[in-house]
Amino acid sequence: MVKVDKLSINHLVTQREGNIVSDMGSEKVMLNIENGKYYNLGTTGGEMWELIAAPIAVNEVVTKIMTKYNVSKEQCEQEVLSFLAHMYEEKLVQVTTQK
Amino acid sequence: MKREWEKPVLEVLDVNM
Repeated sequence: MVKVDKLSINHLVTQREGNIVSDMGSEKVMLNIENGKYYNLGTTGGEMWELIAAPIAVNEVVTKIMTKYNVSKEQCEQEVLSFLAHMYEEKLVQVTTQK
Repeated sequence: MKREWEKPVLEVLDVNM
């Protein structure tokens, strides 16, 4: 598998295994078994986590999120990318290039 | 009715385990 250095809007993202996820009110919290760290994904992040249960392009995540939230495309793209890039750094998601 | 946007932030919780 090719290692992706920088996440872009055209990459495919999906959840990595080895996380225990739990709902806490409207937010999602997660324990990564590998590094022993706990994460809070928040509300929007929790929705994104559900969207990436199967491989999906980042731009498709943006499109789906935009149907639910009152946000501009530019802002949504930028903030979704930033969030997913952070998850990728923490090895919580897997990123591949589209064929 | 669309909801108000909330910037997604991945918060790393400081829990010793």
